[in-house]
Amino acid sequence: MDPSSTGIQEPFDLIRLSLSERVFVKLRGDRELSGVLHAYDGHMNLILSDVEETVMIVDAVDGTLEGQGTVAKRKMEMLFVRGDGVILVSPPSRM
Amino acid sequence: MDEQTPPPPDHGSTPPPPPSVSGSPTDFLKGVVGKRVIVRLTSGVDYRGVLSCLDGYMNIALEQTEEHVNGMVTNRYGDAFIRGNNVLYISAAESL
Repeated sequence: MDPSSTGIQEPFDLIRLSLSERVFVKLRGDRELSGVLHAYDGHMNLILSDVEETVMIVDAVDGTLEGQGTVAKRKMEMLFVRGDGVILVSPPSRM
Repeated sequence: MDEQTPPPPDHGSTPPPPPSVSGSPTDFLKGVVGKRVIVRLTSGVDYRGVLSCLDGYMNIALEQTEEHVNGMVTNRYGDAFIRGNNVLYISAAESL
């Protein structure tokens, strides 16, 4: 039996259980997405709708990393995400 | 014929007994499922949480995940799927 409480047996179960839910996606290039997951495949290619993209922009103020950096946000109705850009996917927390 | 006699030990190919830590990488990973782990990505970001499961691509499902950047917690996730290609290492954060 699976030792974890949630009863998932492979990582993709986490994604499967998030279909039709709003997920948080962390991408390469300091980008984050929040959108409703419609489909995915084994590459982690994703179809998201009602998406908000957040791009973290580091202000290169003399190379100091102290500045928080700015964020740019934009919204998209429907988005295909190529899997190789995905770092992390987090489903909505289920209590 | 004496079927009961065990074959003589093969001194040439017997591997030495391993030290207290033993097993293959796969054995390690089986051992840490359900335990607290630290997953470091190639970007240097750490994820600390309970390892739910993982697959052959080293895709990882974590529970109670904290994202650490430069030693500070930058995010918390109830569950997190980490795509395996980003993983640098998986470290046991509690004794096995």
